[in-house]
Amino acid sequence: MKELSHSTAPGTARTPDDKSAEDAEGDRSTEDAEDIGGAGGRDGGGGSGHPLPRPRAGRRSGRAPGGPGGAPVTGRIPLRVRLRRDRVLILMTLPVVLLVLVFNYLPILGNVVAFQDYDPYISTNGVVSILESPWVGGEQFQRLFEDSAFWDAVTNTLVLFLIQLVLFFPIPIALALVINSVLRPRVRAVAQAVLYLPHFFSWVLVITVFQQIFGGAGIIAQTLRQRGYEGFDLMTDPAVFKFLVTFEGVWKDAGWGIIVFLAALTSVSPDLYEAAAMDGANRWRRMWHVTLPALRPVIALLLVLRVGDALTVGFEQILLQRDAVGPGAAEVLDTYVWWNGVRNQDFSYAAAAGIVKGVVSLGLVLAANKIAHLMGEQGVYKK
Amino acid sequence: MTPKSSSAPSRRSFLASTAVAAAAVAGGVPLLTACSGSAESSGKGGTTSGKDAKKLLPTFTAQDVVTPDIPSKNGSSLGFTQPLRMADLKASVPTPLGKGGTVKVMAPFWGSPPKSQNPYYTAMNKAIGAEVVFQNQDGNTYDQKLGAVLASSEIPDVVVIPNWNLGGKIPSAVISKFADLGPYLGGDKVEEYPNLAAIPTDAWQRSLFGGKLLGIPMPAAWVPNIVPFYRKDVFDKEGYRLPTSAAEFLALAKEVTNARAKRWACDDMKWTAFNSFGVPSGQEKPLGWHMTDGKLVYRIETDAYLEALEWTRKLYAAGVVHPDAKAGKTQGDPALRFTSGETLIYNQDISSWYAKTAEQATQKTGVVIWGMDIFGHDGGDPTLWAGSPANIWSFISKKASESVVRDALAAANVTAAPYGTKEYMLTNYGQEGVHYTLENGLPVKNEKGNNEVINAYVMLDGPAPTIAHPDLPEIAKAQVEWQQRMGAFTKKSSFYGLQIVEPARYTNLADDFEQLEDDVVRGRKKIGDVQQAVSDWRGGGGDKLRDWYRKLLDDNAAQG
Repeated sequence: MKELSHSTAPGTARTPDDKSAEDAEGDRSTEDAEDIGGAGGRDGGGGSGHPLPRPRAGRRSGRAPGGPGGAPVTGRIPLRVRLRRDRVLILMTLPVVLLVLVFNYLPILGNVVAFQDYDPYISTNGVVSILESPWVGGEQFQRLFEDSAFWDAVTNTLVLFLIQLVLFFPIPIALALVINSVLRPRVRAVAQAVLYLPHFFSWVLVITVFQQIFGGAGIIAQTLRQRGYEGFDLMTDPAVFKFLVTFEGVWKDAGWGIIVFLAALTSVSPDLYEAAAMDGANRWRRMWHVTLPALRPVIALLLVLRVGDALTVGFEQILLQRDAVGPGAAEVLDTYVWWNGVRNQDFSYAAAAGIVKGVVSLGLVLAANKIAHLMGEQGVYKK
Repeated sequence: MTPKSSSAPSRRSFLASTAVAAAAVAGGVPLLTACSGSAESSGKGGTTSGKDAKKLLPTFTAQDVVTPDIPSKNGSSLGFTQPLRMADLKASVPTPLGKGGTVKVMAPFWGSPPKSQNPYYTAMNKAIGAEVVFQNQDGNTYDQKLGAVLASSEIPDVVVIPNWNLGGKIPSAVISKFADLGPYLGGDKVEEYPNLAAIPTDAWQRSLFGGKLLGIPMPAAWVPNIVPFYRKDVFDKEGYRLPTSAAEFLALAKEVTNARAKRWACDDMKWTAFNSFGVPSGQEKPLGWHMTDGKLVYRIETDAYLEALEWTRKLYAAGVVHPDAKAGKTQGDPALRFTSGETLIYNQDISSWYAKTAEQATQKTGVVIWGMDIFGHDGGDPTLWAGSPANIWSFISKKASESVVRDALAAANVTAAPYGTKEYMLTNYGQEGVHYTLENGLPVKNEKGNNEVINAYVMLDGPAPTIAHPDLPEIAKAQVEWQQRMGAFTKKSSFYGLQIVEPARYTNLADDFEQLEDDVVRGRKKIGDVQQAVSDWRGGGGDKLRDWYRKLLDDNAAQG
């Protein structure tokens, strides 16, 4: 762009860069490019002195960016111009957009099976099967809402979410504050590494380790027995299961969760601490009045995200321990969908459960975002 | 997707063991005259039997290569305990029958698959005359992949499906996705593949899906396959006596459990409980139905079912079951707990008798594994219920061309070669000098053999009933004798031997009973919950399903 701003005769003195980018487009696009080039040139102050000639392209010049005086250009740029200006960026995002479309949005159409009695095997092609499966309307949903196992799963999911919110969510924040207060870089680096590491263990491994430590034949139970006490079995007790799951989650992922908070903390200016210290604020008050307010937007953002994801409380971890305590205590919405859809091949029924989960989640994220706005935070998005 | 109870995991580990073990279980009985009646096979749902079946089934021609020194009795496998001279091996497939094409096979695999280009695969493909390419999937999670693969429009040329993965809507997938083999194998056409012709007719009968011959069956013994194994070395040393009733078992279990020393009496014993209390087989849904006093009764409706669960619950409550077993299937390997001495009794498929003994023998641990007879719960003779004469099929895709079908049949014809043939040795032991060596005339697999000659080709098909372990003949003898003793107590339920596809609307009815059983025995739910679930099952379609089965039975009787 910058180079273009030097060229005075559009269409004649094009640089190689330009050519490669738009060789197929011809003069019209060159004019467009020049419009933008003009704006860019001024912003960057890169011109060789002479102002760009307002191009003769009358039909667009009225909407052209900025004024002759270099007024702010944001918000007024026509879509087409912006498309041209950002075409490289847009091209770069295309693959991802395509992926999202193909793997996230296209499959949404498949939700139609929730209103059918879907049998994927009646034809050789899954899509044809959808077209040929009989329509049953809301029958699957009716079945779903009458199924006590579904409501058990909903209850378990919500209870687990609340427990995780209270017992898990604050821990990375606290850890980040502690790590942040460690001054010696070496100690800090080691502590961080130790905290991050469990995140990279698979759930299978984590649960096996927990079984070997807290299980009925685990290290603790056996040690107790050898000392003549009763052993215990934490892993198969439905009453403590939700706390156990939360505990495992904290052990595995709390360290990983501090990264975002640490990043936010580095942006706090040391001047603020110094000023507060000068004013006689002790360590505690500095944390309360300087550090925490700095973290507030991040905490709010993560809280909104977490609430929006409330119905997703872990799949693999819970599926692996489903047998240990039974579905009465361990079934959550995701495992319920898996059990009925993949294992029992009741696809329509599972799809209905998935839709219910999706709709409720959407409501939750909107509500949480609203609350964040009311609290004066940005939340996930702005209107 | 999984059978509602008994044998799934056991059979998984049966396949996890060596090829020999897998072949060993593939037993069965060639003479079955029972199935009378005729067809009720309109579209999906129903079964095919009697005259209609006869038209479709391949003609049986025996392959007597070696005479078994323990003939089949009471549904047992054939036992071979005499060593074979390698020079005497016969060739059952003198010239490869394949047409030289490529056959893609999807099959469950337990363990780590070897590299695809290895001497064993090359030798097998040479004997077959076609390039068989395996797309192995983890056997433990096969059910999770199968449904998705069959729902896609691209399925492999051959798909191997065990009956415990035949739940839910899979039977309807089988009917719509796989080729009718009738034109290739029906009647005398099977003569082209002599080893397939030697597969017993009752195994073929099990391949009749929706009125067509859809799969190549792997024959199996119908005697119950779950053996309660015990640590004979420990029992002998401590002087423990084998239990002969459910009450004795519980008393013994309490006596031998010493949690402080990290020793528990047993692992989960639910399957043995079902056998001991005489609950009809849970291997496949149709096997669970039996005509009792003029009424068809499903296994979950019987008192024996509740009693078996209650007894198993008592074991858990008494603290004699290993805590890791209580934590479920994902927590550790029951066989490992057993061989390491943390448990003294566990139940498993009969093939692990050989597999675990061979494993312990190489490690020289001194562990002696032996199977105890299934005890009747009241101290008398047990009432056992027969499984099926074929449990694993190779299905060929409808889209496969004729030459691919021929290649696939050629492959099955090699792996189905009976004991005493060169093909049997090649399939189960590999090549002499490469995969096994002869010690005192007995083949002993080396490391390469153990790595390469494992459950790939043996999944395609197996010979008629065979248990033969040239390296451990005493185990082969014990296995066959156990089958014969237990076979004497084994009854066949009303739909034994038939391939029945339930109507789609009933397929998910009993899905959650296995889960409920596990909850009850672990004390998380009550027997009353089971009774409630049974009454829900009746009202939710169970009674209609009963009528459906009743009609099937009457139709068969009327026309046969």
